[in-house]
Amino acid sequence: MAAPFASAHDGKPRRVDVPATWEGRAWVWMRYSGIALIPLAWTHVAIQDVLVGVHAIDLDYVALRWATLGWRLYDIALLAFAFAHGMNGLRNVLSDYVHPPRARRLVNALLLAGWLVISAIGAAAIVGGVRTP
Amino acid sequence: MSLRAPLEGSLRYRGQEGQWAYLLHRITGLGTLLFLTVHILDTSTVYFFPSLYAHAIAIYRSTPFMLGEIVLVFCVLYHGTNGLRLALFDLYPSLWTEARQRSAFRWVLGAAILLWLPAAFLMGRSLIVHNFLGG
Repeated sequence: MAAPFASAHDGKPRRVDVPATWEGRAWVWMRYSGIALIPLAWTHVAIQDVLVGVHAIDLDYVALRWATLGWRLYDIALLAFAFAHGMNGLRNVLSDYVHPPRARRLVNALLLAGWLVISAIGAAAIVGGVRTP
Repeated sequence: MSLRAPLEGSLRYRGQEGQWAYLLHRITGLGTLLFLTVHILDTSTVYFFPSLYAHAIAIYRSTPFMLGEIVLVFCVLYHGTNGLRLALFDLYPSLWTEARQRSAFRWVLGAAILLWLPAAFLMGRSLIVHNFLGG
């Protein structure tokens, strides 16, 4: 795979090719989604947490924001990049502490299921939009 | 699985800047993921249970959660700046030297704090105005 990363097996850091395995692809995904998340997540935080603030956020505010298709697409992209990046990061952390192959497969299966279910719930809400209570 | 050994090892190991960068990257990443999971689910109530959304927002408006929000913003800023450091150094592997890494971590921490201070000020002001001055 094209994306280079540094390795120092012989004591001197150098560029090596990322192995064409699932772990290699997951590594590349973390790198590119991480870079995409700097503008995506930082802009979201700056607007919603810092400039607007939680005291100005309610159902009407969400409805107003999602009335613009661009913001819905933005939120879909943020959901897809951030949650996949986070869940794969959690998988990486857990693999440092969970070693038996069967336990690791179980952890991976649970994370995959949780990722799919919660991503689907979030995406359904963004597509479905705000309903009046 | 026992967490005692890895946790004690993480605290006792004297890896200095490299270890601090790694530990902070993990903690800020895990903290952000915990909030993100809750945040996806609470926002989903606008479609699935719209009458519950006001309750979720009321919790976020409480003082402990607004303080947590200020910490969260630091987590997101540090995790991003440190991630950018890793990506940049991997592009130029010759930069991976101990001395450069030590100073790079200090720059990353400084940049994250500099970005965070104005945000923390505005959020802290909002917290005081809304929760203590009744604005």
